[in-house]
Amino acid sequence: MKLWKTKSTAALGLLLLTFTTACGNGNGQPTAQASSDGTASKAAAAPASAAPAASAEAPAADAKPAAGEEITVYLNDFDAVIGDMFEKKTGYKLNVVVGNGAEIMSRVEAEKGNPQWDVLWIDSMPSVNGLDQKGQLLRGWTPDNAGNLKDSFEAQVPEDHSYYPTGAHAAGVLVYNTNEITQADAPKSWADLTKDTYKDRIGTADPAIAAPAYPFVSWFFENKGMEGGEQYFGDLMKNGMRVYPKNPQVAQALTAGEVDVAMLQETNAYSLVNDGEPVKVVWPEEGAPGSVRVAAIQKDTQHAAVAKEFVNFLLDPQVQQQLIDEGDESYFEPSAEGVKTKADREPNAKLNITDAAWASEHEAEIKQWFADQAIQ
Amino acid sequence: MFRLNSNRLGWGVTFALAVLVLFPLAAVIIQVLLPGVFFGSLNLGDLGLLLDLFERPLWRKSLENSLLLGIGTAILGTLLGTVLAMVRMQWRFPGARLLDAAVWVLFIMPSFILAQGWIMFSTGNGLAASVLGWHWVSGAVFQPAGLIVIMTLSKFPLAYLSVKAAMEWKVEMLSDAARLCGASPFKVWRTVQAPLLLPAILSGMALVFMDTIGDFGLPSAVAAVYRFPTLPYSIYSAIYTSPIRFDMAGVLSLYLVLLIAIAMLLQFWVLRRSRYDVLGSRAVPSEPKPAGRRLTWALGIVNVLLLLLVIGIPIGSSIVMSLLKLQTGGLTASNLTLENYASLLSEGSSLLPGLGRSLMIAAAAAVVGLVVGLAASFVLSYSRFRFKRGIETASLISFAVPGVVLGIGYIFVWNQPWLENLGIRLYGKPAILVLAAIAGAIPVITRVMTGAMAKVPESLLNAAQLQGGSLVSRIRHILAPLVRGALVSAGLAAFGACVFDLAVNSILFPPNFETLPVAIDDAFEDLRFGYASAATVAGGGIVVGIMMILERLLRRKGVSV
Repeated sequence: MKLWKTKSTAALGLLLLTFTTACGNGNGQPTAQASSDGTASKAAAAPASAAPAASAEAPAADAKPAAGEEITVYLNDFDAVIGDMFEKKTGYKLNVVVGNGAEIMSRVEAEKGNPQWDVLWIDSMPSVNGLDQKGQLLRGWTPDNAGNLKDSFEAQVPEDHSYYPTGAHAAGVLVYNTNEITQADAPKSWADLTKDTYKDRIGTADPAIAAPAYPFVSWFFENKGMEGGEQYFGDLMKNGMRVYPKNPQVAQALTAGEVDVAMLQETNAYSLVNDGEPVKVVWPEEGAPGSVRVAAIQKDTQHAAVAKEFVNFLLDPQVQQQLIDEGDESYFEPSAEGVKTKADREPNAKLNITDAAWASEHEAEIKQWFADQAIQ
Repeated sequence: MFRLNSNRLGWGVTFALAVLVLFPLAAVIIQVLLPGVFFGSLNLGDLGLLLDLFERPLWRKSLENSLLLGIGTAILGTLLGTVLAMVRMQWRFPGARLLDAAVWVLFIMPSFILAQGWIMFSTGNGLAASVLGWHWVSGAVFQPAGLIVIMTLSKFPLAYLSVKAAMEWKVEMLSDAARLCGASPFKVWRTVQAPLLLPAILSGMALVFMDTIGDFGLPSAVAAVYRFPTLPYSIYSAIYTSPIRFDMAGVLSLYLVLLIAIAMLLQFWVLRRSRYDVLGSRAVPSEPKPAGRRLTWALGIVNVLLLLLVIGIPIGSSIVMSLLKLQTGGLTASNLTLENYASLLSEGSSLLPGLGRSLMIAAAAAVVGLVVGLAASFVLSYSRFRFKRGIETASLISFAVPGVVLGIGYIFVWNQPWLENLGIRLYGKPAILVLAAIAGAIPVITRVMTGAMAKVPESLLNAAQLQGGSLVSRIRHILAPLVRGALVSAGLAAFGACVFDLAVNSILFPPNFETLPVAIDDAFEDLRFGYASAATVAGGGIVVGIMMILERLLRRKGVSV
C-alpha cells in the first residue's frame, strides 16, 4: 500500500512536471505554437522576404514602430502559419485569437465598448460590412498592395475603404459519395437537388448556427429573390434534406453514409478528397456561392502602423501564394494578381458573391427563416 | 476581532457567486432592458421580447422540447444512476472499479464527443448496421425517445456520483431494526435505505435536469435528422447571427434560470418535512459486501454489458475513429493506423501545451471551487442565512446556462475601461479562464457536498461549537472528515469537467493561449477527425488517469481497497 502510494505520487508529479514545462515552452514563444509547418515556412519565407520588404518601406507617413511591437488579430483560419510568416517578414509579433466565424464575431461584438483587437481577418464579409456601418472600422486608408487586386476583388472594396479582400472561396460546393451515386446520376446544378433521385440523401449545414453557411444560402436569396429563396430551400426540405449544426457534421454524415450528397465549404470538400475518401467535388454550372475573406482595422487601434503593415502584407501576392502552399484553408481564389491556386482546384471555378451590404441587411431575416424551419 | 460565523460565511458565498455567476449573467440579461449599457448608450430595449417565448413558434417549441428532454432524462438518468450507485455500494462484483472509471469518463467528456460516437455507431451504415447487422438501431436512435435514452446514458453519472457520495457512511442499526421486525431486504431498501438517500437522489436529479436542458452539443448533433430545437439551440442562433442579438440570448437565459428556480422549489417542497441527519456515533463506513457466487456472476455480466453500452459505444467509436486511415474505409486491418497518435506528439502539435494549460486552469479552478462550494454547501445545510434559496439557485445557474452566454457576460463585466484604469485587467489573461472554470465547477461541487452533508446532523457541529471550536475548525475537524469521500468526488469531478469545458474556453481564451478543448475543436472544424479523436482519447485518458491516482491518494486513509 505504502509503496504503491509513493509510486503513484511520483508518477503524478512527473506527469504534472511534463505538462507545466510543455506549457512554459508554449508561453515563451507565443506565435510559434500550433505550427506543424513551422520549419517548412521558415525555409520558404526567407528568400521571399527580400523584395517586398523594400516596397513596404514606402509609406513613410506613419512612423515605423520598433520591431517587436505586437498587434492582436482575430481570425478564423490560418492561425497555424500566419504569426510566423508575419514575424519573419517584418519583425512584428502577432497575438492570435482563433475561433469559428460566429465565435469571433460574438467576441468582437461583446468587446464593442473596449475593443481588444487591432485587425479582424475573417471570411464573413457581410458581418464585417455590418461593423463598418456601425462605425467600428478604420476608414479611408489604401494599402500599397491594393494596386495588385484583381478587378473582381477591387469591386468588393467598399467606398469608404474600410476593409480589403484577401481571397474568396466557395461557401458551398456539391460533394457526392461515389460508392452510392454514379457519375451519370451525380447532380450538376443546384436545381438538380430538388429531384426525386436525391430524396432523403442531401445534407447541409444550418445557416442559423454554422458561420460559413450564411454566405452560401444568402446568394440564393439574392439571386432568386426572398420568396424564390424560401421556395428553393423549402423544396429541398420537402425533399428530405438533412440539416446538421455545422460543416464537420455534414462531412461525417457523408462519410458515414447517412447522406450521399452534401453541400460543403470548399476546403472541407477538397480535404475529404485528399484524405482518400470516395467522394467527388462538383462545381455547379451556374457557379458556387462565394465567401470573401476580408481584413479590417479597428477604428481606435493603438497600433495603427503595424496593423496597416499587416493588412498590406496580406495583400502581397507572395504571401497569398504561401498561404495557398502551406495554409490550412488553402483552397481559395487569391485576391492578388499573379498567384496560382492549388493545382487540384477546379481551374474554371466560378464564384458568385452576394453583395455585402445586401447580405448584411437581410442576415437576421434569412437566418430567422432557417431557424423557424426547425419546427416545421 | 473578525471572527467568521455562518452568517458572514453566507455573505461571503453570496459575494463569490455574484462575481462568478450572477453579474456576468445579469450583464447579458440586462441587454433586454438597456441594449447599449456597456457601450455608453442608454436606450430602452424592447421588453416585449420577454413574452415572445410564448409567441415565437421556434422559442415555444424550444421550451417544450427542452422540458421534455430535461424531465425525461432527469427521471430515467436518476433512476439508472441511483440503482447503479446502490448496487455498487452494496455488493462486491468484478469490474466495480471500471464502473467508477466509466462514470468519470462520461462525466468529463464534452457532449459533442459523445454525440459523435453515438452517431458513428448508429447511422445508416454505421458500426451497428455494418459490423453487428443491427439495422433497427438507426431508426430507434434518431427520434426524440432515442435522444432521451442517449442523454440518459450520458448524464446518469451525475446522479450516480451524488448518491454514491452520500452512501459513504451508513447507519446499520436502522436497517437491522427493520430486518429484526421481519421486513424483507427489498422492503428495508424501499422503506428505510432509499428514503434516507432522498436528498442525494434529488440533488442528482436536479443536476441531470440542469445539465440536460443546458446541453447544446448532443441534442443538436443527434437531432439533425428530425430537427429538435432546444433552448440552447435558440440561444446559439440568436448569438450566431449578425447583428448579434444578445438581448434574445438574455431573454432565453432568463427562462433557463426560471426553470432552475422552479426545479429548486419543487425539490424544497418534496423535502420540506423531512430530516435526514442520521449519522451518529454508530455510523460505519460503507463497505460493499461479498455477494453470493451466482449474484456476483450476474452483477459482473450486467456490469460488462452496461459498460459496453455507455462507454463502448461513444468512446469506443472515438477510439475506432482515431485509428482509421479512411473514415469510410471501415474497420479492416489495412485501414488501421497509429499515425494520428504519432502526430499528437510531433513537434508543433498544439496538444501538449494545450493540455498543460487546461490542466493548470482546471486544477486552480477545482481547488478554489472546492473552497467556495464547501462554504456554499455549509451555508445551505446548517445556517439560517436569509438568502439560502437564492444561493441554492445561483449555485446551479452555470450548469444550465450555456457556457457561451456566461462567457459573453464575462466579457461585458471584465472588459470595462474603468476596471482597466483601476489596474484590474483579467480579460485577455488566463485568470479569466480560471474564474469561468470555477463558475462552471460550483454546481457539481455544491450539489455533491449538499447531498452528503444532509446526513451529518447539526448537533455534531453544535457540540463542537459549545466546546469553543471556531467555524473553521468545526468544518476542518468534524465536517470534512465525515464528508471526505464527497469532497474528493466533488473536487475531481470539477477538475475533470473543467479540462474539457469547450464553450467558455472558445469565447474567452486569451491570445496565443489555446487550451485543449479549443485545440480539439479546431481540428474537428478542419475535418481532421482522426486527429481530433486521437487528441480526445489521449487527453481523456491522461485526465482520467490523473483523477484515478488522485482518488486513491486522497481517499480515506486506513481503508485499503
